[in-house]
Parts: sequence; structure tokens; C-alpha cells
Amino acid sequence: MDAQLLISGVIFGLSIGSIFFLMAIGLSLCFGLMRIISLDQMLYYSIGGYLTFSLSLATGSVWLGVLGGLVVSGISAFAVERLVFRRIYERELTFSMITSFGILIGGIGIIKFFWGVVPRPVPVPIQIQTGIFGTDVPVYRLVVVAVAILVYLGIWLFLNRTITGKAIRAGIEDVEHVEGLGINVSRLFTITFIIAGSLSGLAGGLHAPLIMVDPTMGLEVLAFVFMVVIIGGLGSIKGTLISALIVGQVVSIGSLIYAPLAQMAPFAIMLLILLVKPTGLYGSALLKK
Amino acid sequence: MLKAFQWWRGLLLAFSLLAVSRVFLPLPFVIEVVIFSVYTIGCSFLLGRVGFISFGQPAYLAVGAYATAFYLFYFGTNPYVGILMGVLAGVAVSSIVGPLFVRLRSDYFALVNLALAVIVFYLMQKVLAGITHGDNGLWFLTNIASTPMLDLSRPSDFFIFSFLVALAVWAFYKYLDDTVYGACCLATKINEDKLKFLGYSNYRVRLLAFIIANTTTALAGAMYAVYLGFVSPEMSSPSRAADPVIVTILGGVGTLYGPIVGAFAYTGMKDVISKFIGNWELFIGFLLVFIMLAGEKGIWGTLQPWLAARFARKTAVADASTDETETRR
Repeated sequence: MDAQLLISGVIFGLSIGSIFFLMAIGLSLCFGLMRIISLDQMLYYSIGGYLTFSLSLATGSVWLGVLGGLVVSGISAFAVERLVFRRIYERELTFSMITSFGILIGGIGIIKFFWGVVPRPVPVPIQIQTGIFGTDVPVYRLVVVAVAILVYLGIWLFLNRTITGKAIRAGIEDVEHVEGLGINVSRLFTITFIIAGSLSGLAGGLHAPLIMVDPTMGLEVLAFVFMVVIIGGLGSIKGTLISALIVGQVVSIGSLIYAPLAQMAPFAIMLLILLVKPTGLYGSALLKK
Repeated sequence: MLKAFQWWRGLLLAFSLLAVSRVFLPLPFVIEVVIFSVYTIGCSFLLGRVGFISFGQPAYLAVGAYATAFYLFYFGTNPYVGILMGVLAGVAVSSIVGPLFVRLRSDYFALVNLALAVIVFYLMQKVLAGITHGDNGLWFLTNIASTPMLDLSRPSDFFIFSFLVALAVWAFYKYLDDTVYGACCLATKINEDKLKFLGYSNYRVRLLAFIIANTTTALAGAMYAVYLGFVSPEMSSPSRAADPVIVTILGGVGTLYGPIVGAFAYTGMKDVISKFIGNWELFIGFLLVFIMLAGEKGIWGTLQPWLAARFARKTAVADASTDETETRR
């Protein structure tokens, strides 16, 4: 394998890993704080992708579309949290999984209703290429990576430097104690869910120019996002980042070696890691509920 | 004698109702219901008795279906052998992945199992495209030979066959409920520490349950393959992963007859509603959310206490004890 192919492979892996990271962080935060598995993150991802498509068609600017996707998916996350999740926080984990799968399937139905079933292309906002070690790399992919890094730093600052963020981190440790301190846990849940939903929407918007948007796009990334979350360990931001990088590289380099490896290799790695550590790399040892 | 009759009473009643429905309803519909209920009972058993939610059922369905399809497409013509191949493949695959999966916490189990379904989908669609013919699927309807007693290539005979298989499956699961093992399953769902104190291994109980449930699902897959005469990766696609879970919940989680009622209601609604709304997923998604928010009892779970109460009033007091055991399921 020559160096040029390898470099473009690594960049591709980084960008796809960034997308997975943005989505997995939502799932991971929701699990950490609320102890729910929110499969409807994939729905906000599709919403982000489709709004990017529609707004870029209407206004001509993809960035405006990404922003719109972020806002609208945040709003839909808020609505879903208020209407559905509010009632099921107390229930078992599997309960939230079934319900959110229902929301995901229903949401895909709504998307089909509005936009039809035909895959739609989204233009790439930055067409230019840049040279890294003599290899031409699309700048847009680098921008995606940069956005993911910014989001990671932002989340880190939010969780470590603000009172709300500190409350969320404390809530991941022990929700009842946080509630005992007089912090409005219910508001905390809503904030976390909106953040998770908007980040998934952002992931969808950023991913849209790289793929075609179609109604089942959420289901296509579902397996990869799951693998990221499982390898990293549910509820850990750091673990999510590391495993997103691993999965991104495995998908990209694997497909360079032998195309079907792109789907199979991450799964094999996930099974290996689960064999050694059943809770993932950074997962909490016990499920507190 | 009377005991034996009482044990079989519920089963026979349910299945004679199913047999009667064959007269009134179109044949493909009834066959679909029967296979679907066999498909679902594995999921219902895992969720209701062992406490594992399995979104990965389509993976095992596809394993059973493809094993049957490979046999009928490449090697032989006898559909019975094909179905046997499907069941054996189900046993093999669930014994391989089982030891790894059942060690996991229930939340990881759910995620990993769904990931497995997606992987099997990719495997059949892309990786093994050379022998599975990818999205085109395998067509082998003409390969199926006529068999002397029950000719599986004829739908009316296939109905009798699937009916008998379903009856056997239900008798098996009902028997399982009565055994110590069935009690162990329930115990591992409710309190695994106590089961450990009693000297049972949670791991073994779960592994066996996992293998039993997924083999049943593979059997359903094998029956689908023989009935339709073709298989495609579509049957394990992620968008269908929720089907067995929806039917389980629609029917009532953990009840013995829930899967039949659920499969009946689900297939019926699908046929009726898809005539009016092209967008079937929209409806089923929100139905699922609604049932979950409404208390997740399902149709049979709501209906059954009412039926039991009516039934108890009619029968003599002497029957009270057996009725109580009936009410449990």
C-alpha cells in the first residue's frame, strides 16, 4: 500500500470517526445521566441530514443548512423528551430502548412522508483540496474533524467549568445525591437530551455532503454508533472519543485492504474487547439504577 | 387423565381457534400468522422470562432461512432436510455467540444483539454476495421436491405442517414453564443473586434460554424460506429488527399466548392499514410508543385476566386451584 493511499485513508477514517463521535456522545451522555438508551438519536441524525439538504437547496448555503439541522433536531429532541421520555425515566433500561426504537421507526415514517424515499444529494460546501505530505485531501473532511475537536473541547469545558456541567457530571455518578442538593434534576435531563439531540443533528448535517441523504440513513450508521458506544463503554465521554477514533480508522483502513472488512472488522474488534472487558474500555463496572 | 386434559386444554383451545380461522381467512394470511408467532415466541421468552431484550432476532431468523436456502439451492431438494439444516444452523450459531453474549449486562446485550443483526444483514448482502446473490436473493421454489405425506410445496399442506410445528413449539414452551428450569429462568430475571445462592448458575440458565429461543427463531426462518421459496437479506434488515419486539409487546410480554394474539393483530393491521396508508412504519412506530406508555400489558395481557375471571365463575370450585395456575400465564 503506498503512502498517499494510506494518508487519504487516515484522513477519511478521522472524518468518519468524528461523525460517529458526535452521534455516540449523545447516546453515551443520555445513558450516563438518565440511564436510558436513546435510539432516537439516529432520528435526529436523519433530521439534521434532511434539513441540510432542504435548506442548502433553498438558500444555497450548506452551512446554513447544517445550522438549521442542528437547531431543528434540538427542538425535536426537546419535544420528544417532554412528551415521551419524561414519563419513562423511572422505568427499566429496556423500556426506553423499545420506546425510542418506536420513535425512530415512526420518525423515519414522517421523513418518508415529507421528503419521499429517493436518496438526495447534498453539495459539498468546500470543493478545494489541500496537500498533506504530498497527498491531495479534501478540505471539507478536515473541517469535519475540526468541528468534532471543537465539540469535544466545548463539551469538556461545559462539563468541567460550568455549574450545570458539573451537576451533570455529578449526576452521572449519583443522581439521587444531586437531587438531594436541591438541583433541578429534571431540567438537567432536558438540557442533556437537547445537547445530545443537537449533536446528532450536527453529525447528520456534516455527514450529508459526504453521503446521500435517504430515509434509512439513521439505520445505516446505527450499527457503527453502537459499536463506538460499546467499545468505549456506555456513559464515558473519553472512552467514546477513543473508540470513535479506533472505529473510524478500522472502517477506513479495513476497506482499503479488503472492502467488506469495513463492516466486519469493527464488529470483530468489539467482540474481542467485550471478551476481555464486558463493559467496554471505559465503562462503569456497575449499573446503578 | 383429567390432569393431562387440563394441561392441554388451553393449548388445544388456542390452536383450534387458529384452525377455525383457516376457514374464514385467506390461507397466506393464516400461514403468515403461524410462522410469525413461532418467530416471536423466542423473543417473548427472552424478554418475559429471562429479562433479555433482543433486537437481534432477525439475525437468527436469517441464519435459519439462509441455511435452509443454501441446502435447497445448492445441495438437495427435500424441504424437511432443509428445515432441519436451518434448525441445526440456529443451534450452531447461538451456541457460538451465546457464551459471549449472555455474559453481558442486559443493556450491552441489547446493543450487541442489534449490532449482530446489522452485521448479518451486511454479511448476506455484501460479504457473501458470491453465494447469497446479494440483494437479488436466492430463488429455489422450483427446487423443492414434493414429499409423500405432507407436500410442503403446496400451501394447504404447508399450513398443516406449520400448524403442527407451532403446536409442538407451544407445547414445548408450556412444558418449559412447568419445569424447574422454567422457574430458574424467571428467577434469573427477577433476582439473580438469590438464584446464585440456591446453587444454580445464572450463566448456564441464560445460555440455555438463549439457545432455545434463538433456535426457535431459526426454525421460523427455515419455515419462511420453504414457504416463500426465496430468501433475501431484507429479512434481517435493521428496519425490521423491531418486528418481533413489537409483536411481543402487542401481544403481552411473557404470556404464553401473547405471541399468537400479537402476530394475529400485527399481521391483520398490516394488511388492513397498508391499504389506506402507504406509510406503514409511521403507524407501527407510534403504536409501539403508545403501547409502552399505556402500560405495556399488550392485548393478551389485558384480555387474559378478564377471560380468566369469566371462566372461573363458570367452572366448579374444585377447579379453583388449577385455574389459579392458569391465571399465571
